[in-house]
Amino acid sequence: MKFLLYLILILLLVPLQTTLLPHLSVWNIKPDLGLVAAALAGLFAGELEGLLVGLAIGWVLSLYSAGELWLSLLTNGGAGLLAGYLGRQVSQVTSISLGVGLLLLSLASGLIAAMNFKHLDVSQMWWMIESIILPEACIDGAVGAGLYWLLSQRFHITRMRTE
Amino acid sequence: MWMAHSRSSYSARRLALACFALLLVALFLLPGQIQGLLQYLDEPVGHVVRVPLETIASIDARIADRWEQYVALQGVREENQQLRKEIEWLRGQHSQMRESAAATERLTALLQFKEQALPTMIAAQVIGRDATNRYRAIILNKGESDGIKADMGVITPTGVVGRVVKTTGASSVVLSVTDPNNAIAGLIQRTRDEGIAEGTQQGLAQLKYIPLLSTLREGDRVVTSGLVGGFPRGLVIGTITRIDKQEGALFQSAELMPEVDVGRVEEVLVIQTSYGQSTKAGTGADLLGKP
Repeated sequence: MKFLLYLILILLLVPLQTTLLPHLSVWNIKPDLGLVAAALAGLFAGELEGLLVGLAIGWVLSLYSAGELWLSLLTNGGAGLLAGYLGRQVSQVTSISLGVGLLLLSLASGLIAAMNFKHLDVSQMWWMIESIILPEACIDGAVGAGLYWLLSQRFHITRMRTE
Repeated sequence: MWMAHSRSSYSARRLALACFALLLVALFLLPGQIQGLLQYLDEPVGHVVRVPLETIASIDARIADRWEQYVALQGVREENQQLRKEIEWLRGQHSQMRESAAATERLTALLQFKEQALPTMIAAQVIGRDATNRYRAIILNKGESDGIKADMGVITPTGVVGRVVKTTGASSVVLSVTDPNNAIAGLIQRTRDEGIAEGTQQGLAQLKYIPLLSTLREGDRVVTSGLVGGFPRGLVIGTITRIDKQEGALFQSAELMPEVDVGRVEEVLVIQTSYGQSTKAGTGADLLGKP
């Protein structure tokens, strides 16, 4: 059942991310729903599931992006793993704390991607950070916080935690 | 919100960390092999993802159609008048061009030039944009099973769109001419000076490595040179809007306004074979809608 849910999530993420979100983008920036989904999976289901779901999302989304596969695997898989690990250590996760966490995670993933770009000088790098990476991180944080609030208010989803 | 206090979490945590560490090592030490391994799965996964992707893309296209036909009609009258004027001007240009074409044909026959075959093209629909914000790329509804391969050029009747960088069985990703990671060999149509057309961070394009002695000017058109890559000679890339000539530099560069607005493209043509190569399928002339 869980496997089926994850499969549907991954299959729906592709059209959502590539076809629908470009219409809803703010200043041509759309949220990275793959990263948000991987982090939420890690938070609710633990680091192993977070990692596996993140890797699957990263791989499938990389088929529909000009970006490199290893970067997509690393950022999405890492997001699931890190969210699962950190989520276990925190007793009370709020929408705001999750939003801030996702903002930092998205910022880190964007910076890794920017550093991987060839032929970027310092001014171009700054332009990319302030025009793409930072706004995207803010949007990711807001979307993640909103989704977490929705899930915690509407559904009684169990969150894994160490004693 | 319910919380599960898990005692068996340590093994899962260790396993997850071990998997991630293993993946990191594999990605850095054997990137080619990992990519090759996953490529076997790309085709079936591409076919599975195609179903929801094309369904949602077709719903999206229908909504966009309705919007354009009924809601977004403001300013149509002014646009219509403008287009009528443009048609009048183009008619004049057309008759001049026909004269020139006839003259060229006569001269070509006289010089006994070898006749070039028109390129073979595949028509495809745009069904999405890049999954990330960091690349300016579009997704096409045709892939490897339709004969599309990486590095093939992509155009519209107006001009160059970009280059195929990735394919699955049922789709392909095209990196736009406005992306900084894309480079196409270009040629200034009037002066015949060559350069490299690259995208910029701001979503435009620039022609680099233009010889210092070139007499280029704003408004000059830049076309593909046909020397490298999947584009035949003469396809429009853009128009020069600003020239950058720095003192002491070995070359000059120019900012280009791309001919095709990649953000609005809905259908494209993928160039399978360039000029002069064998043409088994239909030629591009039909697809381009040439009279």
